[in-house]
Amino acid sequence: MTADLTGFHEELRVLARGLLGKAASGAAPDWRSIARSGWLGLEAPEPLDGADATFAEVAVVLREAGRAAARGPYPAVAALGVGALGLLEPSPGRDRLFRETVAGAAVPVTALEGEAVEGVPFRLERTGRGLLLHGTAAFVPGAPVADRLLLPALGPDGTPVVVEAGPDAPGLEVTEQPVVDETRRFGLVTARGVEAGPDAVWRFRGDPEASVRRLHERAAIAVACDSLGLSEAMLEATVAYAGVREQFGRAIGSFQAVKHACADMLVQVKVSGKLVEGAVRGQVDGGRGTGVAASMAKSHACAAAVEVAGKAMQLHGGMGYTWESGIHVYLKRAVLNRSLSGSPAAHRRRLAGRYPAFGLGAGERLS
Amino acid sequence: MTGAALDLPDFRAHVRDWCRTHIPDGWRRAQTGVPDEEFVAFQKEWFQELRRAGFAVPHWPAEWGGGMPVARQAVLYQELAAHDAPRLVLAFVSIHHAASTLLAAGTREQRERHLPAILDGEIWVQGFSEPDAGSDLAALRTTARREGGSYVVNGQKVWASGAAHADWCLLLARTDPDAPKRRGISYFLMDMRTPGVDVRPIRQATGESHFCEIFLDDAVIPAGCRIGPENDGWRVAQETLGAERGMTMLELAERLGNGGFRWLVELCGRPGPGGARPVDDARVQDRLAVLETELTGLRALCAELVENDSPGPADASIVKLYYSELLQRMTDFGAEVAGLAAHAELRKPLSSGWESGAWVLDFIGSWEWTIPGGSSEIQRSIIGERGLGLPREPKGSR
Repeated sequence: MTADLTGFHEELRVLARGLLGKAASGAAPDWRSIARSGWLGLEAPEPLDGADATFAEVAVVLREAGRAAARGPYPAVAALGVGALGLLEPSPGRDRLFRETVAGAAVPVTALEGEAVEGVPFRLERTGRGLLLHGTAAFVPGAPVADRLLLPALGPDGTPVVVEAGPDAPGLEVTEQPVVDETRRFGLVTARGVEAGPDAVWRFRGDPEASVRRLHERAAIAVACDSLGLSEAMLEATVAYAGVREQFGRAIGSFQAVKHACADMLVQVKVSGKLVEGAVRGQVDGGRGTGVAASMAKSHACAAAVEVAGKAMQLHGGMGYTWESGIHVYLKRAVLNRSLSGSPAAHRRRLAGRYPAFGLGAGERLS
Repeated sequence: MTGAALDLPDFRAHVRDWCRTHIPDGWRRAQTGVPDEEFVAFQKEWFQELRRAGFAVPHWPAEWGGGMPVARQAVLYQELAAHDAPRLVLAFVSIHHAASTLLAAGTREQRERHLPAILDGEIWVQGFSEPDAGSDLAALRTTARREGGSYVVNGQKVWASGAAHADWCLLLARTDPDAPKRRGISYFLMDMRTPGVDVRPIRQATGESHFCEIFLDDAVIPAGCRIGPENDGWRVAQETLGAERGMTMLELAERLGNGGFRWLVELCGRPGPGGARPVDDARVQDRLAVLETELTGLRALCAELVENDSPGPADASIVKLYYSELLQRMTDFGAEVAGLAAHAELRKPLSSGWESGAWVLDFIGSWEWTIPGGSSEIQRSIIGERGLGLPREPKGSR
């Protein structure tokens, strides 16, 4: 990373921390403020009113969203809405939606199956009435608040495409799925013969299969960024509390049992940070190994966040278990993140798929 | 040809070529179960081979034969690890701790006396720990009494790795018994041939005897061999102990993550007694994927530690703690997968990294990382206090 970008990221971090932390408890940050901040257009091309920046900048905001346990669909829109638009071939419809998204006038969400690490949930069938869309995707982040849906589907010839539809399109149903984590909203998206006119079927710019993989990688890394941010918040809160809370006449943080637990939290956070950084860099630089880096970041950061948030609740003692303390908000978000976009076990299965075929040779690397 | 004029990718290619043509074939087999003299001779030859290539002391200043930029050193150690080169075990203290101490606190004369000698094969040992001063190193009781132009040293050192082969010793001894414990210590360079220095090997958990006790009975050290001011030894030791940790940790992490992990996967791919391959078991796959992920994180932490000009106050402790416990987890898993066959491997190759593929001995030996150099418990306290700013233990309990 160049020095310039480091400075820019720091600026972005400070702004994001301010804006996301300012939202009243229980409320999502105002969408117009988010649009004005430019975060929706970070990855959009300049001719479509975007900033031509990269996923590395989006990742800064996603991490802050985790740190603030922020409500609202920004992570879904930035990771998968804007992410899908960027992978699609330019067309008048796609370009218009891109512009509206950047301006905050449209809130597009891509309907990938919430727990999946791969695949396309919908399919297009050729009928006498033209192309009809079928399929379901459960636990789609942000779906209940989206005003546009991008539905990844296999075309009649088996090639992945994206079908664009409004949530009120005939045959399309979006049902909210309430979850324990109150900071996020998910929906079950069902398509039963949704008419997909030629203007609504959008093609990927490059290799369609690779584009779908890229979308899943982005989804996984976005969740990893969120878990990293929330881990950092929990570690800081715990260290602050352990420094002032006294028992037996001394700050509890001076007891080795507490201090060493905090040290382990820091180590976990540091390792997660490096893995997330590597995965984000992979998305920006491209090349081989982007999926491996994404799976490592997702499996480690999201499992570690549950441990960190759980330890935070433990070290806050009785206060930590109260609703008022808010620790539960982070713990629930961490536990949900662990399952979202593929469990640690599912991502590790992908990593392990490389092992059986692996031979020994000097200088050979697994990637 | 040291590759000084090459850009980074070409330098990597240069190191790869060098590795292919210079790493002795079959050195692991040749270094398994050999007598000490053969280990020492092999280590000294390998050191000179690296020296001729400009790879022995890349981290030293240019005027003393080093001067390799940090990014290149990282490439060098990545490639040495990837090609499973023998590790510089015997010269470790000489080229790292001794050199950094001489460079940080030595006089011109002391440097000129020892740095070229180290390049020619002078071997150093660290005489810090004592039977009653382990994690609480500053409690050391070995005394150095000033008598004219010399110090007379009495006491006992322990856990001196490789003392049996050492020419010189980095010695901490108490010069002011009345001062607070950290303020009365001085730092000496001691010739191991000095009368009154007696070295006795200690057999350790693995059955090997690399560690030694050093008994000091009226050993006389000339005042010119004190390094730094009198009673300032603790500060000098603190400043130089961690000085080289970054690059050595990077080398160890590269070895663990590269050769070590490759052997582990290879081991899991071999059919066990029942004919099944461990790697086809989903639980084994999951454990491997966890380890590979953790190794990737470790390597990235090490790369950051060497690249960062102003590392955080606990960064080195985080890396030491994570490396040593990951080494332990990984060798533990290797021993579990390898099964009883690994118990029949009674010797591990000398000159290798901490993961040699003799998994049971490697696992037993992994405590040599979690205990010395600041035990895992000490590291966690450092991370909590210096890294996170948590309150120290109340007075009296430390």
